[in-house]
Amino acid sequence: EAASLTRSGGAGGLAQWVLVELQGEVEPRQSGGLAGSLLGDLHYTREGVPVLILGHHILYGKVVQLEKPFAVLVKRGAGEPGPEPGPAGPHAHYTVTALIKTKLLFKTRPKPIITNVPKKV
Amino acid sequence: GAMRSRGEVDATLQTAKLNPAELLPTVHCLSFGPQAAAGQCCLLQMEPGLCAELEAGRSLVIRGEKDEQAVLCSKDKTYDMKIADTSNMLLFIPGCKTPEQLNADQASCNIIHSQIAGFANNYWELRRCRPKLKKLRKLLMEDPYEGPDSRKDQTLTFSKYTTEDLLNLIQASEEEILHQLQVIDACKIEGRYWRILEFDYEMKLLNHVTQLIDSESWSLSKVPLRTCLEELGSLEPTEMIEHILVSYGRKYIDDAGEVYFEMHEDKICRAIAQMLLQNAVKFNLSEFQEVWQQSVPEGMTTRLDQLKGLALVDKSSRPETIFLLKVDDLPEDNQERFNSLFSIREKWTEVDITPYIQDLCAEKQTVGALLTKYARSSMQNGVKVYNSRRPVS
Repeated sequence: EAASLTRSGGAGGLAQWVLVELQGEVEPRQSGGLAGSLLGDLHYTREGVPVLILGHHILYGKVVQLEKPFAVLVKRGAGEPGPEPGPAGPHAHYTVTALIKTKLLFKTRPKPIITNVPKKV
Repeated sequence: GAMRSRGEVDATLQTAKLNPAELLPTVHCLSFGPQAAAGQCCLLQMEPGLCAELEAGRSLVIRGEKDEQAVLCSKDKTYDMKIADTSNMLLFIPGCKTPEQLNADQASCNIIHSQIAGFANNYWELRRCRPKLKKLRKLLMEDPYEGPDSRKDQTLTFSKYTTEDLLNLIQASEEEILHQLQVIDACKIEGRYWRILEFDYEMKLLNHVTQLIDSESWSLSKVPLRTCLEELGSLEPTEMIEHILVSYGRKYIDDAGEVYFEMHEDKICRAIAQMLLQNAVKFNLSEFQEVWQQSVPEGMTTRLDQLKGLALVDKSSRPETIFLLKVDDLPEDNQERFNSLFSIREKWTEVDITPYIQDLCAEKQTVGALLTKYARSSMQNGVKVYNSRRPVS
């Protein structure tokens, strides 16, 4: 079986995406699952340091140029239009949708945001 | 849900006690896209050069049957694929800008709603590997071409492979496959199908040519194509005559535009040796050398080093013997190859074993490095020998 990685169509170069690397796992805050739910706000300082506000945490990171870029592969669904299956049988087709040459690495421990400040007596 | 507003972003900044003046004006509000958790996306770590191939519009192919480990092929290289786990979470985000890009774009808007396309805690790693070409010979040997006079019922054989078929079945890049087809002297018969000649038929064709060279007293380095086709065309298909000349000679064109072949002495001697050796388990070495020299065309000289990777001399037996051992018949996997070699002979000198492991060397790997990894060395009668690292049963 052979699966071909073909570039997604369209003039111009491949799309360039960005990778965000976080410690730990991603869990949905709401019971409805992940789709559509907010992750957080991504800011950059004027010096170019990425700052991520996730829930009650602030994460500081750094911009890293990847020595070995990533290709993002998307599996093409069975029902989707695509090339005819070859002589050896139907193949799963992957489309290279984008390249990732940059990542935002957040390795520092998250700083909690203290929202309740004790009142002065 | 509703998209975050600038007001909400600013409120969050205030709660977080971050000073907006120290930040770039643009914020990315990250949320999970509708398909983010579906697992349709995965990451493939690129090796040097592969990025450029993709950006130039060329495709990459993943090849492998269910029982094979998948490999990735570019136009001319093959890579092993392995999953690498990370302890971190990797989120892939389209349309997310870097500080550099934001600074360069004066008109950048205040708020970018970026949808996370997917996430993973692993990715595919690539490592350049040897193309897995042993299967190519195996497939073509399912139905070797025995010539037009073959009594085989052609309608019964289904093992015929086009280039496209081979590309789908062999875990190697197109260029590596096409190169190997040339190395094993495969030819296209009936225009579409790649075939290997059955050895006896190949020797029959070679014999026609060498006998003609002899009777015409041609120089071995100037064998004329046209005359060969004229003289032998009644005996064998002309494509086959030309094929055998191409397999055993170097084609060139002289100033008058005539096609000639410079015959490969070593390759012809080697083929004749194989023909002689395949008839018995082993031979008396000196008897073999005598018969061999007599069997090769006039003007050719036989030498034992022509038989590297084809035959092995046993110097420990009295008298010395020689037997057929083809590297092509040995396993492709490194460990299995060494196991096989050590079960044939317990201790090997480097000179003897090299032709049987040379093809295992990865890019920039030496035979010495392979021996260090897969064998143990010792001294025997003042000579360095290699044996198995594990007990051989």
